[in-house]
Amino acid sequence: MPSSSSLPKLSLLSTLTPSSPSRAWLTAPHPTLPLLATCSSDKSVRIYSLTSFTLLSTITGGHKRSVRTCAWKPNLKGESVLATGSFDASVGIWRRYDTDDLNPKPVIAPVDFDARDENIDEYDEDEWRFAIVLDGHESEVKSVAWSTAGNLLATCSRDKSVWIWEEVGDDDYETIAVLQEHEGDVKCVAWHPEEELLASASYDDDIRLWREDIDDWGCVGVLRGHDSTVWCVQWEALTPNIYGEAEKLDVKEKWMKRREASGPRLLSCSDDLSIRVWRRNPKEKVPQSRLSIIRSGSSEEDWIEETRLPVVHSRPIYSVAWSKSGRIVSTGGDGSIVVYEERWRHSGTGTETTMLGARRDTIDGVE
Amino acid sequence: ATTVPSSAYIPDPFLPPSSDSDESSGDDDSVEPIDEQEIYDLISPISDPEHPLTLGSLSVVNLPDIHLTPTFPEKGSASPLTTLTVLITPTITHCSLATVIGLGVRVRLEQALPPRFRVDVRIKEGTHSTAEQVNRQLGDKERVAAALENGTLLGVLRKMLEGCENLET
Repeated sequence: MPSSSSLPKLSLLSTLTPSSPSRAWLTAPHPTLPLLATCSSDKSVRIYSLTSFTLLSTITGGHKRSVRTCAWKPNLKGESVLATGSFDASVGIWRRYDTDDLNPKPVIAPVDFDARDENIDEYDEDEWRFAIVLDGHESEVKSVAWSTAGNLLATCSRDKSVWIWEEVGDDDYETIAVLQEHEGDVKCVAWHPEEELLASASYDDDIRLWREDIDDWGCVGVLRGHDSTVWCVQWEALTPNIYGEAEKLDVKEKWMKRREASGPRLLSCSDDLSIRVWRRNPKEKVPQSRLSIIRSGSSEEDWIEETRLPVVHSRPIYSVAWSKSGRIVSTGGDGSIVVYEERWRHSGTGTETTMLGARRDTIDGVE
Repeated sequence: ATTVPSSAYIPDPFLPPSSDSDESSGDDDSVEPIDEQEIYDLISPISDPEHPLTLGSLSVVNLPDIHLTPTFPEKGSASPLTTLTVLITPTITHCSLATVIGLGVRVRLEQALPPRFRVDVRIKEGTHSTAEQVNRQLGDKERVAAALENGTLLGVLRKMLEGCENLET
């Protein structure tokens, strides 16, 4: 196995202060601004600066129980929108005008003096405005995710369902699908980076893929293999990045061609201590008669487990992410953060690439 | 490597902050190794949710079913993790309160032990009809945390743990 000395080293950059007094469930970096949102079991969301690492504002009063998850809406300018999901079964949408030197805060007019009198302190302090609450789930919301275009919001819950909401107007959302095929808590939802294809991970050990087929959202694939709860699923970036040089150019070419046909891969991590990479098995294109009124072929997708990452974690793995530069990072109940790199394999075996576990760092308190 | 402030360690899920949990998670960090007997002493006074008896007297928790294992014996690691496994023996194989009992044990231990401990509470093999289901629930940090935000359940747990508080000094 190649040495891990050339792999990136992790060191603590800063601790966000002041920190939440109780468990921080999730952190979400803003898509364009140097901001980070953290969700806490104290029912609040904290927004930190990623330049000074200090607290900028605290969103409170929207949820009655732990805020488990949040997600920034992509593709916005001048305003930030955050969706939050809570153990209180509700999903909140929050808005705030981006205020930095480049984007001065717009003047809000007309001013409602009565409202200002009542809310002036809270309102002026953090400038986050509660936009709408999305009710529907019956129990704890575990994960929320915006589609790449930002028009769809997926939410999932301990009630075993996945809901898809569409923004149909200003602060107006419509439920367009309630997907109930999982047999256990749905722990995580994640949208494909370029298709309206949703992946969900569950307590039932399965990963499911969902897409719309002639007006109806349905399950188009079940990825089985994990032996316990799948905690998190994440997609690869549009462009893969394999480290090192391929020994044989034809091998590399073949790999890239296949990758192009399959599209971004899916990453999953589980209570079974494994991290797996899944790849779509592209369908052969069947020429379709234009006269046929019956759809040829189903929308079922064929996905296969491509590889497993080296086993490093000793406790359940709760979270994985795939960087734009092609590296993978994972963390879990053992308090360590692990970085992996995919490299061209230099050997005569059939596999073209190999995943390498990088160095780990013990972080106390991470669970 | 331990620059994370200690406030970040205060484990959650937990009952509302009480003076005893603050002291136990702050002070005696890895000075004295904690042994199985001490773990037993922490959990044996927990009351059964149905009877006015303790888990120790009902033999729901037993000293030989408590195991401490260093999990992360990495060189240079400031504070290696210790995995604590507690196997509980429900009084009857169909005990509907097995999950609640397990939860009580887990909460008690997570409150009392330093954060380097990872607590696994499971049903002893062959002693419960739905052990696998119960074990999965007890091992799921999200479900445990959510359960502790349930007022009714929290009341039951508080009652179970009443007898424990006097042990803290």
